[in-house]
Amino acid sequence: MEFLSGKAQRRLQGAPFYFLLTLATVITLVPIIWVFASALKSNKEIRENALALPQEWRFQNYLDAWFGASFDEYFFNSIFITVTSVAIVLFLSSLAAYSFAKMRFRGNQMIFFLFLVGMAFPLSAKLGPLLSLMYELNLANSRFGLILVYVAGSLPFAILMLRAFFQGFPQELEDSAALDGCNRFQFYLRILLPLSKPSLMALGIFVFMGTWNEFFQALLLINEDSKRTLPLGLTAFQDEYFTDFALSFAGINITAVPVIIVYIMFQRNLIEGITVGSLK
Amino acid sequence: MAQTLSAAKKKRHSPRFRIDLMPYLFILPAVVIYVIFNLGPVLASFFLSFFRWDLLSPTTEYIGFKHYDFILNDDKFWNALSHNFTFLILAVIIPVWMGLFLAVFIYEIRRGRVFFRAALFLPAIFSGVVIAYVWKWIYHPFAGVLNPTLELIGLGAFTQSWLGNPKIALYSTFIAYTWASFGYSMVIFLAGLQDISTDIFDAARVDGANFWQKLIWITIPCLYDVFTFVITLRIFTAMGVFGVIYILTGGGPFYQSDVIDIYVFRMIGNFEMGWATAAATVNTVVVVFISTGFIKWREWRSWSS
Repeated sequence: MEFLSGKAQRRLQGAPFYFLLTLATVITLVPIIWVFASALKSNKEIRENALALPQEWRFQNYLDAWFGASFDEYFFNSIFITVTSVAIVLFLSSLAAYSFAKMRFRGNQMIFFLFLVGMAFPLSAKLGPLLSLMYELNLANSRFGLILVYVAGSLPFAILMLRAFFQGFPQELEDSAALDGCNRFQFYLRILLPLSKPSLMALGIFVFMGTWNEFFQALLLINEDSKRTLPLGLTAFQDEYFTDFALSFAGINITAVPVIIVYIMFQRNLIEGITVGSLK
Repeated sequence: MAQTLSAAKKKRHSPRFRIDLMPYLFILPAVVIYVIFNLGPVLASFFLSFFRWDLLSPTTEYIGFKHYDFILNDDKFWNALSHNFTFLILAVIIPVWMGLFLAVFIYEIRRGRVFFRAALFLPAIFSGVVIAYVWKWIYHPFAGVLNPTLELIGLGAFTQSWLGNPKIALYSTFIAYTWASFGYSMVIFLAGLQDISTDIFDAARVDGANFWQKLIWITIPCLYDVFTFVITLRIFTAMGVFGVIYILTGGGPFYQSDVIDIYVFRMIGNFEMGWATAAATVNTVVVVFISTGFIKWREWRSWSS
């Protein structure tokens, strides 16, 4: 290999990695591409040759799925529940994390530990009493109730992540702000939050994805069609149109596309949210 | 003089007696919501598992370990738990090592890192519901893609009812789970790799270390804590797997892919709250025992070596 230039040699060394990565990417993406392609086929085409590409692109399937089922309602519910949950989580967790990270008070460690404990329990550990509680409080079958459950579920991780981040802030920053007559809430609002924008963004996208995709608790707490979120609506839709292949594929795509768009826009923030939270 | 001294003394001491309420006000809203809608129900689940209680009647009566007696003698409970263990053993190996190798490959290349990372992570962004339906169609007996593909490449003998065969249904759901899981391990390993000083890899290259030598003697030891985290994450998801199996098989056929969370969900659906909470409590104890045991073992091993 001596006769090759350094650059060419390096490129040749990378070749097996490119080959394996391309192979893995193709295997990973083929199911998604196949589902998208199938949504453009007619039922007859799917039944006769599941592997073939669509003969002509039938976008009609999407319209039929959208208007035939209540996807507009599911979509609105998902947006409303997810955006509200993310906003509440960001506000409450940043407030609490600031207190845990920067203030000295009796019970600081212990109360923080209570939040940590919440991350160790499997989801099923709370379901029975939660269902009963939600009926007691008249919050079962309610979008607002689901938001509270989602916020409560996301708080431990959010506080853990932001606390670690806030602890890195120099104490001088707060001291000098105090000298300028800034109280702690003003410091939080005017200095801490603006400086934490990248972290809040990463956390926000991470919580957004988790909330948008949540299924188990929604399945337990919501049983009215008009209040279903997209994942829940998709199961109802699939049960109803199980024999209509093309429509089923279109329904899956309608649920998947918003997540793909958010992912393409905020890919870096999301992956940062996962890795920063995990390596700290 | 004495007056000012005592005043100064008083001033110095006063913060001890006055409780600063501000920190408590800052955590209060988060604590209230968390305790009512998360921690409270978990604790209630534990206490109520010792009472006769269902959703419909408000009366509760202490009955000791009766629910546990039923659960621990229920073959279906052990059946479900054993499937979680099968899932667990596969999950701490397959998606973890897939993620590690893909992360190392991405780390080794120069161009296209962002593209490969984004493309390979894509399945991990979907809801379990979307993942399950994608695979439900892949496995579909005649509209699916898997059986025709096997026939096309001459492996027609392997065509199957992937979700209908009791012997392999659980493994079919595991493939869907893996498809959506290895990306998590990959991005976490990749972030861990980027934290390792490049000096070590440069030194290894100068010494003529090959790919496998670097992997075994540098990468894997340096990622010790990252491995612990990635595997712990898999322990939690494998013990709490629900959506993918619920949609793909519903736990069937003949309960051969049943798992704890589906078992608990079914109990709640039948208003058997006592059995549901007892089963959930046993599961919680098992999960906490396995995860903390694993973490302690990893800490002990890294400390003793």
